[in-house]
Amino acid sequence: MPSFSLRVCARLAGALLLSCAAAPSLAQPIYHPPAGQNFEGVWLIEGDHSVVKTVQGKLPPLSRAAAATYAAHVKARKAGKPDFDTIQTCKPHGFPRILFAAYPIEVLQEPKQVTFIHEVHHMPRIVYLDLSLPKLEDIDPKWMGESAGHWEGDTLVVDSLGFNDLTTLDTAGLPHSTDMRVHERIRKLDPDTLEDLITVNDPKTYAAAWSTRVTYKRQPGRRLKEYVCTYSNPEAHAAGK
Amino acid sequence: MRILLQAGLVGLGMLAAATAARAQSDVIEGPLIRPAVSSSDPRDLSGVWFIRLYNRQINSTLGRLPPFTEKGKAEWDKRVKAEKDGSPIADASAYCWPHGVPRVMNSPYPIQIIQTDGETTIVHEVAHNIRHIYMDQSHPQSITPSFMGDSVGHWEGDTLVIDTIGLNDLTWIDEVGVIHGKQLHVIEHIRKIEDGHALENIIRIEDPEFFKEPWYARITYAWRPDLRLSEYVCEENNRNMPVNGHTVAQ
Repeated sequence: MPSFSLRVCARLAGALLLSCAAAPSLAQPIYHPPAGQNFEGVWLIEGDHSVVKTVQGKLPPLSRAAAATYAAHVKARKAGKPDFDTIQTCKPHGFPRILFAAYPIEVLQEPKQVTFIHEVHHMPRIVYLDLSLPKLEDIDPKWMGESAGHWEGDTLVVDSLGFNDLTTLDTAGLPHSTDMRVHERIRKLDPDTLEDLITVNDPKTYAAAWSTRVTYKRQPGRRLKEYVCTYSNPEAHAAGK
Repeated sequence: MRILLQAGLVGLGMLAAATAARAQSDVIEGPLIRPAVSSSDPRDLSGVWFIRLYNRQINSTLGRLPPFTEKGKAEWDKRVKAEKDGSPIADASAYCWPHGVPRVMNSPYPIQIIQTDGETTIVHEVAHNIRHIYMDQSHPQSITPSFMGDSVGHWEGDTLVIDTIGLNDLTWIDEVGVIHGKQLHVIEHIRKIEDGHALENIIRIEDPEFFKEPWYARITYAWRPDLRLSEYVCEENNRNMPVNGHTVAQ
């Protein structure tokens, strides 16, 4: 029972300001999360989230300028020229848009890290459980941002920030700024259903923080396939360099 | 609270360290307090590692070029000449394709090994390459060739043995001009060395189309608990996008 002894040892060490160094070495290095916190496996999103709505089913509360940008994106998509969309040229979906993609996600868990491997663009997302987030001004903006998380009971709570503003939040084209912060509460609704309650906080783009919700179904026995956009769409990649 | 938390983290990291005295002397001070050697469990490879003595040309363990067939030698010569002439032939990485196996194991960027139930996963910083190594399983009957191939692993004592087949012929074995075909069969023997300060990977490379006999390369990686993988997006602003199969500096 490595997970049990790890946690007990860590708790004792924390309380007594001691290390667990004297504990016997583990015969089996594989970490087995407690049942409620075990999200390991391959998951696939339910439903179509190409046009993201709030949990109330409404359009997110876009500021006036952002509403104009969104309208322009929707129009461009309708006209068949969604040049705003970075995935057209094989660039990453960015976060949180990748959470809405209709491709499987594999979850790998360790005591100090939860790793999400997205089949689409073979993109990893690492959530550190032993780090606090850096300050926004200290982060070089990234497509996937930086993520830190912790457990609240059986809910994985993740905060992310440090994004570039090249991506949209959905296929339709919801914009965001580099100030965006994303808060997630991820939990299992039942053994085969994972829920992610996603809250977007970006005062430069939205009048208020808003939340949306996605669920994923367990895909027993499924393995991630190799998805290489730059190989399947070389012209698109070359055009977007 | 912060101190308590850190003490707990140190405890977690050192759980498997051999002795308390040893563990204390190996602690790196800083925002991330972690032991400077990986756990004393020889089968616990989890964590961040970084190649040592990176060389863009993979030599065999005999310190010389691989035992090329005529074809392998001709392809090598062609690539070396093209580079010398200032118009290098583009390899998979120049197109932002996955680097392939074993090439991805010879890259000057950190890698993170994650061990979960039934799978060993290697997340590579470079070009967000991912290796899925399915443990204690056979290769599927039918495999569609891919950049990263099909990898299965098992333990032989304290050595992780990874068998990879099903590779396409679009990647190279090194960055200079050792290439391969679809018959490539790679067997890696990975184990901890130097009391957990490093990993050793002995890579057996077999491809009768390009090599007269199987040959071996050896790469070692340092334990780097101070590193976290960063984001490497080749697809963004690829200034070396190949033109007519050649890499052109832009």
